[in-house]
Formats: sequence, structure tokens, C-alpha cells
Amino acid sequence: MSETVIRPAGDSSLLVEFENEISLEVNSKVQALKHTLEKSPFEGMGEMLPTYRSLLVFYDPLKIRWKQAQEEVRARLGSAGKVSLPKAIVTEIPVCYDKEYAVDLEHIAEIEHKTEEEIIKIHSQSDYFVYMLGFAPGHPYTARFENPFSFKRMENPRLKIPGGSIVVQLGLSDIIPFDQPCGWNIIGSTPVKACDYRKEDPFLLHAGQWIHHRPVSKEEYLDIKRQVEAGSYVCRSWEKED
Amino acid sequence: MAVKVLSPGILTSVQDGGRTGYQQYGVSPSGPMDLRSFRTANILAGNDADEAGLELTLMGGEYQFLSSHVIALAGADMNPMLNGKKAGMYKALCVNAGDVLKLGFAASGCRCYMAVRGGIDVKPVMGSRSTMVGKQFGGYEGRKLQKDDVLQVKDPGSAPAHPETWFTDPVQIPAGPRTLRVIMGPQEERFTEQGIHTFLTSEYTVGQDFDRQGYRLDGQKIEHKTDSNIVSDGVVAGSIQVPGTGLPIIMTAEHATVGGYTKIATVITADLPLIGQCKAGDRIRFEKVTVEEAQEILAKEAQKLEDLKKLISDPSHLPEPEQEEAPVREFEYTKDVILTINGKAYDVRIQKIKDAE
Repeated sequence: MSETVIRPAGDSSLLVEFENEISLEVNSKVQALKHTLEKSPFEGMGEMLPTYRSLLVFYDPLKIRWKQAQEEVRARLGSAGKVSLPKAIVTEIPVCYDKEYAVDLEHIAEIEHKTEEEIIKIHSQSDYFVYMLGFAPGHPYTARFENPFSFKRMENPRLKIPGGSIVVQLGLSDIIPFDQPCGWNIIGSTPVKACDYRKEDPFLLHAGQWIHHRPVSKEEYLDIKRQVEAGSYVCRSWEKED
Repeated sequence: MAVKVLSPGILTSVQDGGRTGYQQYGVSPSGPMDLRSFRTANILAGNDADEAGLELTLMGGEYQFLSSHVIALAGADMNPMLNGKKAGMYKALCVNAGDVLKLGFAASGCRCYMAVRGGIDVKPVMGSRSTMVGKQFGGYEGRKLQKDDVLQVKDPGSAPAHPETWFTDPVQIPAGPRTLRVIMGPQEERFTEQGIHTFLTSEYTVGQDFDRQGYRLDGQKIEHKTDSNIVSDGVVAGSIQVPGTGLPIIMTAEHATVGGYTKIATVITADLPLIGQCKAGDRIRFEKVTVEEAQEILAKEAQKLEDLKKLISDPSHLPEPEQEEAPVREFEYTKDVILTINGKAYDVRIQKIKDAE
């Protein structure tokens, strides 16, 4: 186990880094420290941004300087006991793998030496865990515990991909809520919205839950899209079986 | 109390001090690209420093005031004209119902801020009136302003006593290369010694791709030890990402909250306004400072705004604003006459002005 490192991320936040891996175990340390800081914040502390393996802690440098802020966080690292993971919920995400939306599916099949049907099966047969939200409002970062694919992101990101895109690399699969730049391969598209400002809680998914991709035809995709626009579509969800 | 948009310019949006508390859901802080000019404009208009105002980009546009207001402009000089006459910046301006303020292209810099006393009244989204232009929420209907939009202004209460004493020195926007001070890291160790040397010694140019999310720079490629990928972690305003291309991207107000590319350094908060005033073709250099130095610089910056606030709340020790000098005239002839009106005699001098019609 490597030592936890605290580094400055500019003059108004600090980055607490745990082990350099994506795992439930490391992520639970991030959640535990966040929980501890929420319960006993230090003077000048601002919001926090948890990610796979690190916690970004904002602070007001006019109230507390870097060295003291670092000490305050370090003092709480020891007491950050294990927190129980949230109740495991699975939310079903309908995904259309039609070529019109899955612009990189052919390319993915090629690098993986598999048929497109096999790639779709691989992507939709196992559930993904939601580690964090970020990048764009409601954008879930999800992963599973083996790497079904061998490729990483592209060297140079695309300047714009459409909202609803499902993008993948290694064991990761994300839902892109809005049009945005992105360097990942696009495997499909979902008609549901990861972020809908019309709703009281705009965010479809929350950290600590699971998602299941269900392949849908283009016809069903368009039908669900209409229901989503009307505000009548509700994603199926159930409790995760161990 | 309202302002009507006659012509919106290139990109004008409602911004307040920014949106905090939602970064863990992927909602970036947004807010003004040049917080210092924004806050200066607000203070000069008699507002709280983070009150909602307008951010004007590259070209200002034309605005009509539907009632009398106190306003102030700060940031890039867009040659503001009030009813066809040159209007000052960095000072409170009293405008009347029907007055039209027109702003052109930014002579230098990129963004000008218009504060209206009372503040622009739009519905806050997630606790802020800032427009998230890229994600289309917040501000005025989640978008940049369009022709015929009418912006309501919150009632500031009674008229201020002496707004003519509300002024300060303009901040000069450098014409040559800007030096941005940076704190190295958090992924500094992912770059070779040569890569870090390149970053700190060469000059970069702002490319065509610059907006409220980030600025892509052109110049010398920065060398990674292995590759540019990290396990995605938090991004802040000023984070300098270096993707596989080796060319830096400075993340700004509407930045993604997390990212998977190595971050070589972070621009200090006090220098973020310098980026907000950059446009394509502007040149940038980076200079390394410590966190301690950066926080000291920020404290001094904050003190300057506090001093300005004090001046405005108590202007008694300000020098009198300069009176316009009477124009020097030449006369063709002078004649003194005695006029008698209602039985009283008046000595009157008549002078014919040279070249006058």
C-alpha cells in the first residue's frame, strides 16, 4: 500500500491522492475522507470533488494558507474510518448500438478482433459501477472489474460529440450528457438524459450505484426519446444482487 | 428597472461571482473570465462585488436603459459611447431612461464587464445567476443574449448620494506577451526535465480555439515521460492540461470538473484575469512561483478591492474629480457696452469668436 500524498492543485485547492488504481477499495477511502471532512470541516474549507482515487478539497487562501490546510486534512486522514457503501441500486440504461449512433463500433470490433455483435454483448452483459460524476453536469464515470476492451482514449480528442453518446475504453463506460469534446470511442447512444434541468434533482445517476446497459433497436430508441422529451419516461431500476 | 438589448455583440452573458458547491456533480463554477474587472465594475456601480452583471466578449453591442440607472464598465476597452458621446470606463455612469450605450470591438483585451446598480435579476440555478454558456443553463434562459432581450434589474433602493466620486485607475491590458505565474503540478512528475524546461522557457500563442471552457495554445511541444493519460481527477480554473499532442490547454471558468490528461501546472488565481483578456494570436509565457507566493499575491489583490470598496463607501478623502477646463478661444474683436434694463445699468462685454459660424 502506497502512502497517501497531498499536493497543491493551484493556490485554492489541494489534491489528496490514494493508491493509483481504480478499485472499490481505493474509492471507499476517498469516500471515507470526504465523509470525515463533511462531519468536521476546517476553517476556510470549501467544496470537495471526489474522483476514482483522489479527493480535491477547495479552501479559501484568504482564510487558511496551504501548509495549515494540508495539516488539517492530514490530521483527519487517520480518523477517516471505513464508511459503508451506499445501498446498491442498478439503473437500466437503454442503449442503441445502431451504426448511425455507434460511430466507432466497427473500429472497436476491428481492434478487438471480434464481430460487432460480440462487442455489443460484451458491453451489455456486465453491470458498471458509478464511481463519480464529473466533467459535465450529471456525467457518470462508470467501470467494471475486468477490462473487456484493450484500447485507451484517442491521442487527440474530438472537438464535439453528441449528448447521449456512450463512450468506452478499457473497463470504463461513460454516458455523455451534453454535446462536448471527447477523446473516447463511441460505442452507442442512449435516449435518456443523465442531466435534466427540468427536474428537481437534475441528476439521473449518483456515485455508488450501478448501471446496466440494455440494447434497444433504433425504433425503440426513438420511442423512448419521445417519452423522455415529454418527461414521462422512467428508467427501470432494481437492487443489486450479490 | 430594466435594460433592453438592441444588439447583443458576439457573446454577451449574465454572470455573477460563480456557482459553488456542485462540482462533485460535474457542474463547473462558471462566472466571469476576468473576476478582477468584473468585481471592479460591480464595486464602482455600488454593488456587492459578486452581484450579477454582463460579460461582453470581443464586441460589446448596443443596450438601451429603460429607466435611470447607475452603471460601470471595466475590463477591455470597447470604445463605449453613451448617446453617441464617448463614455468613461472605471467610473460610475448615471444613465437615464432611453439612453443608449454602444460598445464596439475590443481595442485590446477580450472581455468587458457592465455592472448595473442593483444587479441583473434572473432566476438563480443551483444557487447562482451565472450563465453556463456551453451547457445552456443559468443566466438569461441559459444562453447568450439576443436582440430584444429585456433584462430586469433589481431595485437598489434610494439613489446614491455622490456616484461621481466612484472611480478608479483603469487596469492596463498588456499589448505584448503576458506572463502567467504558475504553481507546478499536480502531475509535474509525468513530464521529462526537457518537457518542463520547454514549458517554462518558450512562448505560446493562443490558437483559434479559445472560449469560456478553455484556451488551446500553440507552440513548442511539451515532452511526457511516457504518455499523457492519468486516472481522471479534479480540474480547477487555471489547470494546464497537456494531452498527447504535447500542446497545453488552459482550463477556464466553464472547465470540465474532471479530466484524464496530465496537468503540468496551475495558473495562480491572481493571474486568471490575464487569460480572460487573451484572444487568438496573443502570446503567453509561464513563470514558476510557490504556493506561498501565489497566496501572498492573491491576498494583496484582494486588499486592493477592499480598498476600493472603502473609497466608495466613504469618498470624503478622495480628490475632487477634475473639472473640464473652459475651451481656449480666440476673438476677432471686443467691445464693452453699457446696457440699461429696467432702469439699472449693466457693463457688458461682447466678443466675437474667431471662426465661429
